[in-house]
Amino acid sequence: MTFQDQILYIVQGPIVWIAFMIFVAGIIGQTFRLSRMIRKNQPLRISDSAKTVKNKKKERWQRWMHHIGQVKTTMIGTSPFLTTVSIIFHICLFITPIFLMGHNVLLKAAIGLSLPSFSEPVSDILTLIVLFCGLFFLLRRLLLRRVRIITTPYDILLLLVVVFPFFTGFLAHHHLLLNYKLMIMLHIISGELILIMIPFSKFFHMIFFFFGRFLIVNEYSLGLPKRNWQFQTRE
Amino acid sequence: MAKKNIDTAPIQKILKKNKREIKLGLKVCAHCSLCAESCFLYQATKDPKYMPSYKFINSIGRLYRKNGKLSRGEMTKIRDIVWHDCVLCSRCYCPFGINIPSLIALARQACRTQDLYREYDKEPTEG
Ligand code: SF4
Ligand code: SF4
Repeated sequence: MTFQDQILYIVQGPIVWIAFMIFVAGIIGQTFRLSRMIRKNQPLRISDSAKTVKNKKKERWQRWMHHIGQVKTTMIGTSPFLTTVSIIFHICLFITPIFLMGHNVLLKAAIGLSLPSFSEPVSDILTLIVLFCGLFFLLRRLLLRRVRIITTPYDILLLLVVVFPFFTGFLAHHHLLLNYKLMIMLHIISGELILIMIPFSKFFHMIFFFFGRFLIVNEYSLGLPKRNWQFQTRE
Repeated sequence: MAKKNIDTAPIQKILKKNKREIKLGLKVCAHCSLCAESCFLYQATKDPKYMPSYKFINSIGRLYRKNGKLSRGEMTKIRDIVWHDCVLCSRCYCPFGINIPSLIALARQACRTQDLYREYDKEPTEG
């Protein structure tokens, strides 16, 4: 076994599991931490005659209809292009690796179970979508003043960290640029790096998003959340 | 106004008390600038200094990173950001749910401890 093979063996085996464990434990831990920062609001005491909506289901339905009617005033209305690119980017970011044939073959070999997979051309297209969206975000960061003014080198680094596994995965799969083993090694290491980083870096917005959107009561929150942040520690 | 040094203790007290909110806000902000359009001042001017995220990052964010140790000049700049560039109308909106007005209000609180607030008869020092 060459040195390269040995490293590949380690990053492909034990380190994948360690990265997954850190990822899952990190997400659980951070979710727990955030959930300790929210409190249920005291329900408003409204006299019966003033209660217009009694039925919870109806109320929820009305909120959703309200959201749909409001779409034009939300970001989808004010920045349609950016929101579309962003939504597509984030969806592809998740579904591409999860439903990738190569990953599922490895999963099957490791635990005997696997998820359905996209065909290879579909995965290729999804990967390219991620890469192009990434390029779009990068150019936007560098060229648009309003984004540049709040951009730090860390933002650019994070963007590169996100697209790197997709880039190397694509190149490895098509045997481009470097030899396959080296490329796949870079691919695996960078993928593991993201998994480990998600709960602890700015990628943490992945967890925070669900709190802000579904649990915290707000004009634009979805569903009927009843909670609020309680950031200050009691003295 | 009389030139005074900055008394960091009351600022640090505010930072400490609201640490979780500030830290989370700074950490979660993806620097995406999507909140820009939700501020009417940005909409009217298209000047990035009116972007809600720019305002909280460069006020409470700056105070937090420096643990309140700023010069009077820097504090005055923050005053201008949180009073002249923001009316705290609370209409700004972040897709992640960062409460931007609340963060800007904290920066106002910090400024007030240094006798820095909106002086309606004076022009801002900057811009
Ligand atoms: S405050 Fe929200 S919308 Fe504004 S730049 Fe930060 S993450 Fe984006
Ligand atoms: S609170 Fe300030 S930043 Fe937010 S919309 Fe109003 S003026 Fe703009």
